[in-house]
Amino acid sequence: MSFTIAHTVDEALAAMAAGARAIAGGTDLVVGARHGKAALPGNLVAIDRLTELKSVTTTKDGVSIGALVTHHDIEMHPLLSTSYAGLADGSALVGSPSTRHIGTLGGNIMNASPAMDTGAPLAVMRAEIELRSVRGSRRVPIEELWTAPGKTSAQPDELCVAIHIPAPATRSNSAYVRLEYRRAMEIAVVGAAAFVALNDDGTIAALRVGLTAVSPTIFTGDLVGQIGRSVSDAAENAAKVSMEQATPISDVRASDSYRRHTVGVMARRAVEAAARRAAGETIAIPVNRAIGIGAAS
Amino acid sequence: MTPSATAQATTRRFVRADGPDKVTGSGRYTADLSLTGTLVAKFRYAQVSHARITKLDVSAARAMPGVFAVITDADVPDVRFGPMVQDRRLFARDVVRFEGEIVAAVAAVDAETAQRAVDAIVVEYSPLPIVNDVESALSPDSPLVHEDWADYGAPGVMVRNRNDASYASIAKGDVDKALAEADFVVRSHYESDGCHAAPIEPRAVVAQWEGNKVTIWTSTQVPFDARAGVCETLELPSSRVRIIVPHLGGGFGGKCGFHYEAHVAALARIAKRPVKLVFSRREEFLAPDKRREGIVYDFETGVKADGTIIARKARLVIDNGAYTADAGFFSQLAAMHALGPYKIPNVLSEAHLAYTNHQPSGSVRAPTAPQTCWALESHTDEVANKLGMDPVAFRKLNAVDSNVEGPSGQTYGEIGVQQCIDAATAAAGYGKPLADDEAIGVAIGWWPSFASASGAYIKIDGDGSGQIITGAQECGTGAVMTLRQLAADELGMQPEDFELVYQDTSAAPYDMGATGSQTLFNNGRAVIAAAGQIADQLRELAANKLEAAAADIVLADGMAHVAGSPDRGVAIAKLAATAANGELLIGHGSGPPPPAAKAVGNTCVGDIGMTAWRAPQFSCHAVRVRLDRETGVVRVLRVSTAHDSGTIINHTGAQGQVEGGVMMGIGQALTEGTKYDDQARQRNAALLEYKLQTCADAPPIDVQFVEIYTPDAGPRGAKSLAEAPNVATAAAIGNAIAKLVGSPVRRLPMTAERVWETINAGNAS
Repeated sequence: MSFTIAHTVDEALAAMAAGARAIAGGTDLVVGARHGKAALPGNLVAIDRLTELKSVTTTKDGVSIGALVTHHDIEMHPLLSTSYAGLADGSALVGSPSTRHIGTLGGNIMNASPAMDTGAPLAVMRAEIELRSVRGSRRVPIEELWTAPGKTSAQPDELCVAIHIPAPATRSNSAYVRLEYRRAMEIAVVGAAAFVALNDDGTIAALRVGLTAVSPTIFTGDLVGQIGRSVSDAAENAAKVSMEQATPISDVRASDSYRRHTVGVMARRAVEAAARRAAGETIAIPVNRAIGIGAAS
Repeated sequence: MTPSATAQATTRRFVRADGPDKVTGSGRYTADLSLTGTLVAKFRYAQVSHARITKLDVSAARAMPGVFAVITDADVPDVRFGPMVQDRRLFARDVVRFEGEIVAAVAAVDAETAQRAVDAIVVEYSPLPIVNDVESALSPDSPLVHEDWADYGAPGVMVRNRNDASYASIAKGDVDKALAEADFVVRSHYESDGCHAAPIEPRAVVAQWEGNKVTIWTSTQVPFDARAGVCETLELPSSRVRIIVPHLGGGFGGKCGFHYEAHVAALARIAKRPVKLVFSRREEFLAPDKRREGIVYDFETGVKADGTIIARKARLVIDNGAYTADAGFFSQLAAMHALGPYKIPNVLSEAHLAYTNHQPSGSVRAPTAPQTCWALESHTDEVANKLGMDPVAFRKLNAVDSNVEGPSGQTYGEIGVQQCIDAATAAAGYGKPLADDEAIGVAIGWWPSFASASGAYIKIDGDGSGQIITGAQECGTGAVMTLRQLAADELGMQPEDFELVYQDTSAAPYDMGATGSQTLFNNGRAVIAAAGQIADQLRELAANKLEAAAADIVLADGMAHVAGSPDRGVAIAKLAATAANGELLIGHGSGPPPPAAKAVGNTCVGDIGMTAWRAPQFSCHAVRVRLDRETGVVRVLRVSTAHDSGTIINHTGAQGQVEGGVMMGIGQALTEGTKYDDQARQRNAALLEYKLQTCADAPPIDVQFVEIYTPDAGPRGAKSLAEAPNVATAAAIGNAIAKLVGSPVRRLPMTAERVWETINAGNAS
């Protein structure tokens, strides 16, 4: 049993090479252990002091978000909350204010829950995850990271250090909408993200949809068939495709038929919101409060 | 009392004494207590809903290092207990009847060792048929939850009819004849799921023996009830059991009744060490014999074409769960709520309490009321719709009023139900145009005031500051906090001059506890009486000093002065210093409870639920909601309330009670409901899946009081208030949803999925 506090990424990687599991906010690991989901790993390395993983930097290709950037930081970030709005929509819905101040983007992604709120927006934005270990560094397209509920393709000694998102083309943006029964401490029953690029005439130039909590991992679809169509047609078709592609379960949160219906509604709303943003309109973060579930007040 | 004192009492706002402790974290709760050598207690639960125990072997657990005690039914006195039907034991004997029933208890050096010992206990079961549905529980071919309950203790009139644990009826006039004469008859069926009190503090108990006496620190709302339970089950006189309650982290009724005090005391006696039990959140959901009861409802109401209600039949079946706890009189309460505050000449209201293999029901804030009000008021809107009448106008026409006979034949003196309807609907803007996805629903409700014996002492020390030593228990309502105000007003002092000393059953006189909204209603009387004795002493002292007659001495602003001569006075603190060298300033109070209302109807376990309508409280809630028709998600936009609780003594506390009651009501309306699997086990015994409302969900809440001085009630013409604000919210929300959907959602909670299903059913037909 060991607990190491890493002061540099290299120290963290060395500890992980020796079998330790990384812990930052602890909002999944600790809470899960307390609820008997999985015992706390015997060997832990605390990475919460690695300031080098806490910054958001603009690159020539887009933006790089350090793995320890918190949901609150994303929600409030001037660039992320505008050009990468779908991610900010998702971060703004995670847990409670205290969860969002402690929980990190890297932790949310590596937890690999199909109900995570940042996964679908990152997937439709074609984000790549940077994994590092003492053996080196590699980038993985985010959809290839998740393999099953709670499972990733990362090796046990690999640490997620950054999330890279390509810069959106002009007249493009994203949105994430989630079905929620209450306004805090909620977990996605279903959710949908959309990335929309528009042609000059307002028709669809690109459309990708990501679905939360309706399959073992986040589902992503590139709806190339919608190119050239109007936004309203594309939104309806995205709803249909989402309902068809979803493989929801019935559980204590909702029945499969209700999930299948509502994921279509979420997908349509996500496409509509993303298209409005792509056309230059500002919709406040998160879309859920501005136009979505239960409506604003 | 002088008029000026009343004015002062009703306008002053002050910070409650326990507020800073609770807000800053300096307050200590039961789980914070540490005694030298304390062991950790854990329970082995049945985990199955109905089975015969074929083997119970604790020898391996007892043999484990670090384990100091493992006890079962064999280690405690042979006592069956229960406040109305004696159907329980501390530990299961032979048969387990719900998943949270305690089979064994362990005390060990730490939590991990205790858990290993719990896991090492060998229990084998032979399954028995499970009663998982409240309606079929009463069918003649249903399996029985208690095969042999003819032997159980119960009130003499108790009829033991298979799974029917208690029955109550209210009959008046000729209901069948009136229904036949009605212009319209509307029939409705509704169902409500059970739900939970869910206090923020999971319960905790610490027990320590010294010689043959035990002190128990416990998170209970009812310390004297807890003491009585320990005395009964462990066969001890009350002089050997002392109950102390540190700060209580909420209760909402869930911490009423006697719970685990005796289990922990029994462990501590055998272990010869202090023992501490602290529940996990999951245990808090599964084990206590207190959760809000599910009910199925059938209503039949006959009206004349002019809108007058002439007859109502109601039949309710209440889920008692596996043991009766304090739910024995719920059938009486439910029978009253099924009639509602309406003047109906012909009624037949019948309510049954049915044993099932669910967690036992018990007092959760206004037991039976919010859900029965929801069902009745949904039905009321259906009747109004049938008549083509506006539902508010229909209520104004048929609601009870001052000195008008209510549905059970009782009248209530001067009451403000009509004013409540006017005030709440006006605040809500009822009748004004709304967006097409918004609607305002309106409901009225009532709740009784329970009269009970209650006591308090007051003493004033030599420095002029005082202590109120009360038997009352604070569970968060602020009722105990307001006692300071009553004492201060009697003595011309300030609330801040008094310290509250509670709760210690060996120090304070009896009070029923934080239950039935009765704390200020009854203990307020006791405090005023105790303060009155001290006031008399102060007047005597002042009269000697000022050379005036005692009857002419006025106590005000910290001074005793001669009436009409404010400058001929002496400070109360100075009089207290004088008294400290002679006859001490000590007062005690109790006073006779107000008389009960006349009993109505027939019941098999006393009439407490019906005689409490001496000073009933009335309320009207008008709620504006928005419906997302595509998903069924409902958002509550504004709740406008008006309450008749008689005189309001502390407006700050009263407003908080209403706001809290409303938030609880929104949860019950939309998101809070227990789901059972086919083995009668709870599927959502966790805060992620059992969805309470959060701060982020809270809408603006308008709070108005229709203040009517009510004689023969609580202090200064007050009625009760704690539970009443929880009664009408869900009903009003339901009526708003029904307007938007075109049909009521017939099952509570009205979850997004159920609303969506109701919309779809409407589209399909």
